[in-house]
Amino acid sequence: MEQRRLKIKIMVLDDEPIVCKRLKTNLEKVGFEVDIFTDSTEALHHVQEHPYDIVISDLKMKVVDGMRFLKEVKKNSPRTEVIIITGFATLETAKESYKQGVFDFIAKPFKLGEIQKVVEQAAAKIRASEKEV
Amino acid sequence: MNIWQRLRNLITGKGRQSQELIDLPVIFEHFQEILVDNQRAMEIITDLGEKAGGEYIFDRQYLADAVTRLQDVLLRLVKGLNLVADNRYTDLYQTLDRIFLPLESELRGRLSLSADAPLVCSLADLPLDHPEMAGGKASNLAEIRRRLDIPVPEGFVITTKGYRRFLEHNHLEERIHGILENWQAGQGDERQTSRQIQYNMLAGAVPPDVSRAIRSHVEAGKKEKPWIVRSSAYGEDGELSFAGLHKSLLNVTGKNMLSAYKEVLASLYNPEALIYRQRMGILGEEAAMAVLYQEMIQAQISGVAHSRALEMSASDQVMIYAAPGPGRVVQGRSQVQRILVHCEPPFEITWLPQDPSAEKPGLGRANDSAAAREAGQSGLELLSDGVVRQLAIWVASIERYFKRAQEIEWAVDLEGKLWILQSRNLHFPQAELPNLEEVCDSCTAQPVIVRDLGSVAHAGVGAGPVFKVRSDEDMGRFPEGAIMVTPFTAPWLARIVPKASGIIAERGSAAGHLATISREFRVPALVGVADAMKMFDVGEEITLDTYNRCVYRGRVRALLNYELMHSLVFEDAAEFRLLRRLLKGIAPLGLTDPQAGNFTPDGCTTVHDVVRYIHEKAIQELMDIPKSLSRPSGVQVRTLASAVPLDLKILDLGGGIDPEAAGLQVTLAQVRSLPLKALWEVLTRPGVWSTEPIPVDFQGMMSSLTRTMTSSPGLETGSGIDLAVISDSYLNLHLRLGYHFNLVDARMEADPVHNHIYFRFLGGVTDITRRSRRAQLLARILSRCHFKVDVKGDLVIARVLHLTADEIEARLKMLGQLIGFTRQLDIQLRSDEDVDRFENTFFQHASPDGKCEAEGGQHGTTAIENKNNGSGR
Repeated sequence: MEQRRLKIKIMVLDDEPIVCKRLKTNLEKVGFEVDIFTDSTEALHHVQEHPYDIVISDLKMKVVDGMRFLKEVKKNSPRTEVIIITGFATLETAKESYKQGVFDFIAKPFKLGEIQKVVEQAAAKIRASEKEV
Repeated sequence: MNIWQRLRNLITGKGRQSQELIDLPVIFEHFQEILVDNQRAMEIITDLGEKAGGEYIFDRQYLADAVTRLQDVLLRLVKGLNLVADNRYTDLYQTLDRIFLPLESELRGRLSLSADAPLVCSLADLPLDHPEMAGGKASNLAEIRRRLDIPVPEGFVITTKGYRRFLEHNHLEERIHGILENWQAGQGDERQTSRQIQYNMLAGAVPPDVSRAIRSHVEAGKKEKPWIVRSSAYGEDGELSFAGLHKSLLNVTGKNMLSAYKEVLASLYNPEALIYRQRMGILGEEAAMAVLYQEMIQAQISGVAHSRALEMSASDQVMIYAAPGPGRVVQGRSQVQRILVHCEPPFEITWLPQDPSAEKPGLGRANDSAAAREAGQSGLELLSDGVVRQLAIWVASIERYFKRAQEIEWAVDLEGKLWILQSRNLHFPQAELPNLEEVCDSCTAQPVIVRDLGSVAHAGVGAGPVFKVRSDEDMGRFPEGAIMVTPFTAPWLARIVPKASGIIAERGSAAGHLATISREFRVPALVGVADAMKMFDVGEEITLDTYNRCVYRGRVRALLNYELMHSLVFEDAAEFRLLRRLLKGIAPLGLTDPQAGNFTPDGCTTVHDVVRYIHEKAIQELMDIPKSLSRPSGVQVRTLASAVPLDLKILDLGGGIDPEAAGLQVTLAQVRSLPLKALWEVLTRPGVWSTEPIPVDFQGMMSSLTRTMTSSPGLETGSGIDLAVISDSYLNLHLRLGYHFNLVDARMEADPVHNHIYFRFLGGVTDITRRSRRAQLLARILSRCHFKVDVKGDLVIARVLHLTADEIEARLKMLGQLIGFTRQLDIQLRSDEDVDRFENTFFQHASPDGKCEAEGGQHGTTAIENKNNGSGR
């Protein structure tokens, strides 16, 4: 089971390097493979070539906003689970993102335990759907 | 015109136009808004404090938003107090500017130095958490010295502000910028670039204010002693490593002081440093150099220690390299002694055979004392076991603090005293880093004792043997590097926190005392783990991982090594440093004594001070109201019919009295105000309200005869009335019983978020000793019922916050009992022993419905915390 778990690939996209770095450190430690991006354009290009199991993205970013990014990700790879992280100000927009098929959203600032739990749930869903296949 | 005057006019209808009159309900509305905002402010402060523990992920925007919200609330508080107090506190607007402007400027820039940052500062006074001012090396040393209390040679730092001044004074900024641009554009290599910049810097003059400051610090140090002048660049020894890229000069004396400064400054532009910064993406303008002057230790033995002896594949041992004479002097090397020390008690020592090929680079010898040299060369042990153990303990403690494996320079002086000269992160070749799969596997395989319990006070991973702390005596025996397991969260634990590898407490919250202390010393801590004392055996090895709120049985070595060598140290991230700096201007409470001379707007130095000041002043404004109502005509004030001789007037703000009740007198049955009902029902019970006269002894009687009525604030006149301002869920009660004064302000709603009790007690009939005894008695009883209590002479202030309606009710009943019980008690408190006696009597006779005593609480030493026990506290 551990080996299956190690296969889960996560992309983290946030303007703020601190969010990316801390998520990477903590998610890697519990067995996920994590790539981090602070530039949404770069992330968009990358995600078109390399599908991820889970994408964790901020909603409010320069250049490509989170909503557009989310649509692109889902268009390229509908099976990718997206988790939105967002500041208090964009909470309402975040709720709308549910309509775009978002797995869950988390308001910043958040506890490491909280996001880890959501990521584990998304991973469980992915593993379950893999089994079905 | 104060409330008193305004109300007198209101009541008598004198002297004012009716539109200028402020009616009582409006004042109470403002007052209640102040209370609500007071709690909001405290919640934001608590929230920010919790974020410093590392459990949360936040960004700069969160910090900016929180400070803006705090500023909005504080503005409302100042406005509210001025509305209640007829604009007598407008100075507070300036106070807010004084406190918030520096916070805003902190939020604006990463490298901005405040205008009052010093050019030169001694290590002893260096502001902590400002590596951008003092550079990494000097900041680390200041922390080792002050947080860990480990001896570090005296010294001073010429800050990065001094560096900027040097560039400005010599018009070098533009010139350096130009030379760097040419290099970036491909003109010349790094050697030419370096030469050009360094030539310009060495030709510059040290600005007069900087050179004056250097001289005065040198003169303040030991006369004629040589100094070491070290680079302390921003980023050096921190997340980025510039180790060895910059210069350190030894044996610097009087006349070379200023040239040494320039030489070390110029080393910022060494070719290697230029290349390194280019690779790391650090722009020329961002580079800044602070310079550290340290008194040189005349060493008989010196060396280097690695907190993890990875070169020996011994990741749980400290490796000490020792050689005679001062270290890092010349290149000619003599043999180096190597000692391995186990990093846990009893710190077992292994003296390794001398191996010339294992010399530590940089440990050159020159002025070896003959005896020491002989010892080194003959294979005799240079250091005693005691010194070796002491060094190993310090090395382990420095590593724990910085959460990174450390490389530490040390020396033993001619008197045999051990010193730490500097410490930096130890870097390992990539191949030696633990791999992540191994970390995951180890964690999965290890038995788990605790999972998902408690709150994270400080995030991190620590391991060691369990040591339970119940008493002062236990603290004396606490072994270095153990995991502290304790039922308490009291401030007296602070002394052993720096020795602990981790903390698990049964009580407490992420915003409490112990949390704050654990953050200061960067010790992983989990609080509020119920029954923790029963979960672990004394002496058993455990690994505490507070990132995941998890405790493993045994040492999870892969995880520990990963943390020490690889993991992001969140405390060093710019956002966390910024938060810690912001908190210094926000969270500490300096204004604790409302009767002290500094209890003024000018005396407020933090946001918390202002919140506390406003709360106290608003309460004081309200305390004047009953006096003004001695002839209560013109406002709707009713009298509560009571079995005891108390003439309580009631002013209902809405919903506090049965709407059916007619006439000016109401009965308790007609009172709808839940808090008043709870308190009054108990206070007026026959057993509680003792009507027997208390025999007054001679001293007590004389004191009551001679004591003037104005000797205590708030007791200026005996003509005030007992007044309760109420609503369905609110009570503000002023009760004067004989010569002492009770104030209770309470809210009791279904949602605990705004619930509180504020209790204030002052005065008495006897001498100050007896009145103080009564204050002590009250404090003990209130502490045992979870109140946060402050006592100053005969003034007692007690608070609780955020309790459920049931819990508030139980405490109001207890207060009813307490007010009755202590009514004339000061006369009876003839000795200190009486305080114990009456404390026991109170709890023996407490009626069951007013029981809210904390389990096992004794005399306040337990210091049980509420979620947030005190507005403004």
